Amino acid sequence: MTLAAMRPLAPGPVIEVEGLHRTFGPVRALSGVDLEVAAGEVHGLLGPNGAGKTTLMRILSGLVDPSEGSAYVLDRRAGQSPELRARIGMVPPGDRTFYLRLSGLENLVFFGRLHGLRRRAARARALELLEAVGLDEAGERPISTYSHGMQKRLSFARALLAHPKLLLVDEATHDLDPVAAQQVRDLTALCAADGTAVLWATQRIEELHGFARHVTVLDRGTVAFAGTVAALVALGGAGRHVIELGPATAVTPAELGAALGTNGQLLPGPDAGHVLLVLAPGVALGTALTALVEAGAEIVSCRDERPPIERAFLAVTAERAA
Amino acid sequence: MSTLVAEARKIPAFMRRDFLVLLSYRAAFTSDLFYIAVQAVMFGFVAELVDSSKLPEYGGVPTSYFDFVMIGVIVTTVSTVLLQRVAMAVRQEQMIGTLEALLVTPTSPTTVQAGSVAFDLLFIPIRMALLLVAVALTLGLGYEASGILPSLVLFVAYVPFVWGLGLLTAAAIVTFRRGTGALGVVMSVLGLASGAFFPLTLLPAWLQTLAEANPVAIAMEGTREALIGGVGWSAIGPEFVVLALLSAVALLGGVTAFRAALAREHRRGTLGLY
Repeated sequence: MTLAAMRPLAPGPVIEVEGLHRTFGPVRALSGVDLEVAAGEVHGLLGPNGAGKTTLMRILSGLVDPSEGSAYVLDRRAGQSPELRARIGMVPPGDRTFYLRLSGLENLVFFGRLHGLRRRAARARALELLEAVGLDEAGERPISTYSHGMQKRLSFARALLAHPKLLLVDEATHDLDPVAAQQVRDLTALCAADGTAVLWATQRIEELHGFARHVTVLDRGTVAFAGTVAALVALGGAGRHVIELGPATAVTPAELGAALGTNGQLLPGPDAGHVLLVLAPGVALGTALTALVEAGAEIVSCRDERPPIERAFLAVTAERAA
Repeated sequence: MSTLVAEARKIPAFMRRDFLVLLSYRAAFTSDLFYIAVQAVMFGFVAELVDSSKLPEYGGVPTSYFDFVMIGVIVTTVSTVLLQRVAMAVRQEQMIGTLEALLVTPTSPTTVQAGSVAFDLLFIPIRMALLLVAVALTLGLGYEASGILPSLVLFVAYVPFVWGLGLLTAAAIVTFRRGTGALGVVMSVLGLASGAFFPLTLLPAWLQTLAEANPVAIAMEGTREALIGGVGWSAIGPEFVVLALLSAVALLGGVTAFRAALAREHRRGTLGLY
């Protein structure tokens, strides 16, 4: 680590990325990406396949150099500094990052020792983490007997071996069952509460709800949106709700649509028993439902047509595509 | 210095990993030993056909073909296996997907490479030495006990040469994702000009000249001088110096090429691709 690579700043954001570009031959993987992640923050990195999430993670972890722009982690230029790597935990995407013929415990002990832990300390930390990710009973089994989800959890445990200041998580819950996924998110939240910055890359946008506060949406290598999850949800536009009408409904859908007036529109639903309510901007759902009930509708159930965050994501990316 | 110590402390972790992996392949643990044991028996029969008077004397001591060739078999096997392991160590990590997981730890690529071959560098020569002892006890080898230590010292000077050559090959493999073909050619030429199975005097003059600078031949002849001729430390001194120099050059060249290959992959962002 040279002095030139150190930033003369007081402790700032854990991740500070500015104007980042990365090309692979003719492919532009990242183009002018800006990002800031603070200590203790879980920051969502959202995007479809090929959006550039993994490339960004790999640059931050020092596996790949940027083509242009700057990427700082903990006030140091992201790169090959061992001191910096000691403070970063990474959960890579996919399987095949472990020695399959060794047990989960032996794998963790090995990687713990590469983080500078002595054997006994590495073993103690490995046992502690195996328990934390719910693999204590499988710890002595070879990895080759682990399911995909178990390997993911083990990967998460490995990332926590050295109490990282930055956790880079790339599609950690992609193939996990809901219980295991929640377990991993809970662990992540605990790390964040302890001051660790977390960059959480995912395609499962619904998992960011109530988990990440800020989100950056990448689309074809550029930032399509950066802000709070709440702001992204707000971009979802007018609410669309599927309403199930009961047999006691005394009027036709056309009459209900007329009764709705300027509160919104009523469109055909997925089947005869359902209609789609599209709210006009600024109209509360309760107002529209009240109008429908007063017009003679029996409302059995009402649900979002699509989770708002997903709708917002599609709105953001579709707008850019247009 | 403290960084060096910290990195050196990681080497036993690699060795333990490789030992545990080896244990999980119990058949592989014994198959190469079996192969060499069969070779020993085979050369025992071939030795019956060879006129010992046509073999060179070492330290003024005449030798049998069996004594002569077993040193060739052991040195050749150790060289080939070590070279292959060193050349393929990082490639193997790349293939099984663990290379990037290793490189995101605070461990230098040099330590990763050295750690990945440390077990083989230690274990393969020990196994071969034990096999030589077993052959000596069962089939009879007329070696001088006084030559064991000098031959070990020669071997220690020779191993870094193989390591360096392996690193050069590893650099080519990391860069081109191929290279085992070139490795085979290099080993064939070095093996041919090494005098493993026949005396160097049978070679054409130009190959004999090549053999004089061939570290494999120097290590082999030096070992024969020590084990068959029972010559002392002073007699193997020149071989030791030449080997140490060639080893230093090979290792330096290998480390430089390997680091350059990794740096190139890093810039291109293709380190994890295979």
